[in-house]
Amino acid sequence: MNKYLPLVAALVLSSSTVAAQSFEDVFNAQRALHGNGHAFTFEGEQYTTDHPEELEAAAPANATNAKALIASAKAMHAEVKAVGYDWTLTKGILKNASKALKAGDFQKAMNLAAQAKYHARMGVAQYHNSKQSWLNMVPE
Amino acid sequence: MKIITSWLAGAALALIAGMSSAASTGNTIATVDPEADRLALQAYFQKRFPEVELADYGNGIYALDAASRAQWEELEEFPPYEFDIEEGEELFNTPFANGKSYADCFENGGIGVRQNFPYWSEQQDQVVTLELAINQCRTANGEKKLGWKKGKIAQISAYMAFTSAGELIDIKVPNDKAKAAYLDGKAQFYSRRGQLNMSCANCHLQGVNIPIRADRTGPTLGHVTHFPVFRSKWGALGTLHRRYGGCQNNVRGTALKAQGEEYRNLEFFMSYMSNGLAVNGPGSRK
Ligand code: HEC
Repeated sequence: MNKYLPLVAALVLSSSTVAAQSFEDVFNAQRALHGNGHAFTFEGEQYTTDHPEELEAAAPANATNAKALIASAKAMHAEVKAVGYDWTLTKGILKNASKALKAGDFQKAMNLAAQAKYHARMGVAQYHNSKQSWLNMVPE
Repeated sequence: MKIITSWLAGAALALIAGMSSAASTGNTIATVDPEADRLALQAYFQKRFPEVELADYGNGIYALDAASRAQWEELEEFPPYEFDIEEGEELFNTPFANGKSYADCFENGGIGVRQNFPYWSEQQDQVVTLELAINQCRTANGEKKLGWKKGKIAQISAYMAFTSAGELIDIKVPNDKAKAAYLDGKAQFYSRRGQLNMSCANCHLQGVNIPIRADRTGPTLGHVTHFPVFRSKWGALGTLHRRYGGCQNNVRGTALKAQGEEYRNLEFFMSYMSNGLAVNGPGSRK
């Protein structure tokens, strides 16, 4: 059941209601159906259903990579905070990433940092998307 | 790795009620027209709930939901905010260390003026809410600021609202700078936020009267008339911006600062939408 929820979300999230499906629509639909790590084609090109952050977290799990991913997640978090669109869970996830790093659990640290970075990137996207689309919500 | 968690609420609500006709202008200083916005919002609610009198919107969700209204009317028989009004009156009338008092900072000695807040201040180049004015009055007289969300500021605000009972909300957007603030508030109201990706309008306009956990979402028309509110869940009185923060947290978005520019602009927009409705604060809510 849970697996299909993001599909509904993806439908609602896509800002364009026009017939032509954007890459984002296709990506979201494929991801909702198949989860990550699934290959699909869009306009003749091959893609996978991984978020960029997930690919980053798939790098070798070591202290250097974990530190780097946490740092870039923090930078993205600062960006989303600056526009006032950060999500509530992100800060705690970042904290847990740092804890895992300290404990030497590099893979966990990288997974958490990737999740936080994804949240933050989505928040920034939401900010830009809102600017484009809020008017659609106003009754006439 | 599970990255997306529970988008469900947002998705479900947004799907329930699509807009039949959305505005295509009103997102620039040149085209934004507060009065047209207000009339369109009223028309939207009147079309959806033709049996509800306009004046009843000041009663929030209880205007739409008969079941919870009965409970609420019982609650209002012994209003939980009565003590706060008395306390607020005393605070209001207690002179500052320099001998002056709140009455010196407001028109008409601060009595019966709630309906004019928030207003665009030419001098300060910003929207001034009642709570901001209360704290400005304090600092101008050498007193410390009060916290924004509850306690004394809410009590003083409650007393001032109480002395304005029945006055009709009368917000003005006098010039282009005020229009810009109004437009910012309007954009905020309709912008999706948080991990659940929902806007205020998703719940309080299109999604109005939808059950969410133990609550039903009330209409945004009349949202501001009865603040501050004694909320059973808080067990105390709270200001409008406290409630804004709670709603933003509920969609897993980080709340913005109480009395920051964003919330003041949001209040400016929301108050304009309720122009013509009577002040009936303080109120009580579940
Ligand atoms: C997920 C749905 C949801 C969203 C999104 C949401 N709210 Fe609410 N809000 C509620 C519920 C539920 C209540 C309590 C029931 C009621 O009175 O509406 C409430 C209550 C309120 C109240 C108090 C109503 C009263 O009569 O005292 C205000 C004011 C308010 N919300 C403003 C906002 C603003 C402004 C936003 C956008 C920043 C917002 N809400 C976003 C669900 C939501």
